[in-house]
Amino acid sequence: MKHQGRSTIQRINEIKKLIQEPFLLISILVIFYLLILFVIFPIYQVFKTSLSYDGHFSLKNYSDVLRQSYYIKPLFNSMILGVLVATIGTLVGFVFAYAITRTPMKAKGAFRLIATFPMVSPPFVVALACILLFGRSGIFAGAIGNIYGLTGLTIVEVIAYAPTAFLALVGVLQAIDPALEEAAMDCGASRIKIFKTIILPLATPGIVSAWLLVFIQSLADFGNPMILSGDFSVLSVQAYLQITGMYDLARGSTLAILLLVPTVVAFYLQKYLLSKKSYVTVTGKPTSATIKNLEWYIKYPVYAFCMLFALIVLLFYSMVVWGSFQKLWGVDSTLTLRNYVQMWRVGKNYIIDSLYISAIITPITGILSMFIAYLITRKQFFGRNAMEFSSMLTFAVPGTVVGIGYILAFNTPSPLMPITLTGTGFIIMALLVFRNLPVGIRNGVAAIEQIDPSIEEASIDLGADSGLTFRKITLPMITPAFFSGLANCFVRSMTAISAIIFVVSGRWNFITVAVLGFVDNSQYAQAAAMSLLLIAIVLLALGLIKFVTDKMGRGMQSTSIIE
Amino acid sequence: MKEAYLELKDLTKSFGNDADKVVAVDHINLQVKEGDLVTLLGPSGCGKTTTLRMIAGFHTPTGGDVYIDGVSMNQIPPNKRPTAMVFQNYALFPHMTVFENIAYGLRIRKESNDEVKRKVEDIMRLIGLENLGDRQPRQLSGGQQQRVSLARALVMEPKVLLFDEPLSNLDAKLRVSTRLEIRKLQQRVGITSVYVTHDQEEAMTLSDKVVIMDRGLIQQVGSPAEIYSHPVNRFVAGFIGKANFLQAVVDSVESAQLVLQFLGKKIVAPRWNKEIKTGDEVLIVARPESILPEHPNEELVEGVVVNSVYFGSQMLYEVELLDHTVLQIEVADPQYHPIFTQGHKVGLAFKDRSLHVLPMEK
Repeated sequence: MKHQGRSTIQRINEIKKLIQEPFLLISILVIFYLLILFVIFPIYQVFKTSLSYDGHFSLKNYSDVLRQSYYIKPLFNSMILGVLVATIGTLVGFVFAYAITRTPMKAKGAFRLIATFPMVSPPFVVALACILLFGRSGIFAGAIGNIYGLTGLTIVEVIAYAPTAFLALVGVLQAIDPALEEAAMDCGASRIKIFKTIILPLATPGIVSAWLLVFIQSLADFGNPMILSGDFSVLSVQAYLQITGMYDLARGSTLAILLLVPTVVAFYLQKYLLSKKSYVTVTGKPTSATIKNLEWYIKYPVYAFCMLFALIVLLFYSMVVWGSFQKLWGVDSTLTLRNYVQMWRVGKNYIIDSLYISAIITPITGILSMFIAYLITRKQFFGRNAMEFSSMLTFAVPGTVVGIGYILAFNTPSPLMPITLTGTGFIIMALLVFRNLPVGIRNGVAAIEQIDPSIEEASIDLGADSGLTFRKITLPMITPAFFSGLANCFVRSMTAISAIIFVVSGRWNFITVAVLGFVDNSQYAQAAAMSLLLIAIVLLALGLIKFVTDKMGRGMQSTSIIE
Repeated sequence: MKEAYLELKDLTKSFGNDADKVVAVDHINLQVKEGDLVTLLGPSGCGKTTTLRMIAGFHTPTGGDVYIDGVSMNQIPPNKRPTAMVFQNYALFPHMTVFENIAYGLRIRKESNDEVKRKVEDIMRLIGLENLGDRQPRQLSGGQQQRVSLARALVMEPKVLLFDEPLSNLDAKLRVSTRLEIRKLQQRVGITSVYVTHDQEEAMTLSDKVVIMDRGLIQQVGSPAEIYSHPVNRFVAGFIGKANFLQAVVDSVESAQLVLQFLGKKIVAPRWNKEIKTGDEVLIVARPESILPEHPNEELVEGVVVNSVYFGSQMLYEVELLDHTVLQIEVADPQYHPIFTQGHKVGLAFKDRSLHVLPMEK
């Protein structure tokens, strides 16, 4: 009893202190309201809709879906595609990561750039290129059979998502101390033996986690299957068609939940694996001498593989460039700018809307994510874990599910939001902010965790309150993370499609939706032109932000956050 | 001078829940006189840092309260308390110059620019940081960073200055010179200070009072000399300096001294603890420098030298007694005394006025 009393006193003291910092208290309350409204509530609505029939609780939607092969097929297809893409993508990513971290390959920067480029380009550009290459009027028409289906989708998604695996695995391989390999070599192990007994076992958790990441991305992918799936229907596209084509909200929601469950399971499995990365020894940079004299029979196959994959990526993207200047793809190859003119005429409003909305949400997302990251790493308050969980939730939830959730949640007024948001620009902004929040928060948390807490304590000790400490101490120290977060958010927002497609309207539209429209009308050249414009905008923005950070960063670079 | 300028009343802190609860600080009471420097000394995990952080306000006490100049601090957040801390790793703001680091708290207090400039420059002169104002913290040596951290705290003119093991990141030589500087500065400014350390030498040389802590409890409070010569228990005796512990029985009690029976020989010690009676089992605390090996004779406790090391200015012996306990002995100015080597039989003379007797602990 005595203990109980004490901890109550402590809690009361904590609350009293919170009241003395009204800025903090109000911020926490506002953030909770927003998270409930824009993250929890929509997902709850999807669940509710999938679980009700004629206004009652029922599992009928699920039994219907699972009984009819028309609905069950997309589930299988999504899984097969996911497993194929994840496996091949991880393999590609691993070879690239190995080449970058463990071989003396030339032009690593260029390879790295090519390998990561698909991450900043809109997701469906690769699919578009695939049609231009292997489609009915493509250069290599029929070379790999019918591309509308599993084959085409696998190729396209591997190109689009291998970069994710690559980036994750570079981190994993870099964290393995080369001294371990040297020690193994010292004990007489051959390269291949070292790979099998040292590198592979140490990298296994990382490899599995990369696999799961790609699997999640493939499941959630909407743009590529929308263009390329043909008769090979997948969950994300089926759910979309149920809702926009058949106006069947219940069935759409049910499919969305079927998509959500494996994704969330994979996500938490992946998080769990990462949290257990018990052996990885971070002991400095891999400045190994052994990589310099790598045996030829390892080097050259790896080089050849990287070269081949890089060429494929280049081929795909150059096809889009080439295609955008042709009069009529496959029929009349006269060079022309007509596609750009036409694209601009039709798509001007889409482009302006996208830019306008992205420009508004980017700073909002940036600041909000840093602030939440600060709260969950540095502040003790009731509900901190709930805040962390809900703010990171959208990261695991496929865009299709979020999009359906927004339709269900904001088509009509509710106690949480007394006005209808559907059709406004605001709903698009809210969706983008809360979809991009998790990445920003993750970067922010990583940056803040590197700052010694006593630096902030020193500020508080000298009289600053939490808000002032955050603004004057924490924020300047996480500026680099903040700006890279901005860049990331802008790119993700400009290239978003899966959730956005549900909330666009006549009044507010989006560039990616316009590209899909062109593809739908088989206007591939205009689609290519618009994709290129989009890529150009994204690269320009990235360059600008890099320029700004470099400028400001000069004084801060080695902020050498005291460990 | 106020006798209880800083006062800890029943201060308690526990971490964790009922099941796996750890009591870091257990109902401690302490009064610090205005202008005094008090060190909290103890092994790691004794609760000294937790206590300091409760004074600063970074930990909320589970029970009890902190009073500064008579005002209860419990409801006051750390940024409103009249305390300033010098951090173990200095915690300098890496994106600000030295000047801006020191000025930070004054600016938060919204003091005028002229005032800030004057105060910061004064303190920089006082601490020997002239001409370093425009530097970035990373351009400074460890010792300089330490000074900036001290200046940043001092410039606030806090009622209580807190030090969290401020010298532990410096090399040994710098540590000695810096602690002397801190002491001089603290006395000159006359600021009430609480200083946490695990280095007993640091505590002895710096403090007006030393507070010895162990397992969340205060073991003893006293001047360095009191603590060294009259430790209240075995823990304090062993923690401060080196000590040999001899189990003896009280033979007779006289007005100013105790006569003790040890291995069949008589040893005389000052009567400090009035509760010790004839027949009691006691523990003699004999510092290594309080024992002198001599040629054996009837009166002296017998032993055999098992190890001897010659240092020039002193001689270190390990002497094994008949009951196989081994005593550490230091003899200053060995040239003046007979020198023994391994295997020699010796008689041990105890310098009776230096001995300290503790009642036997359960």
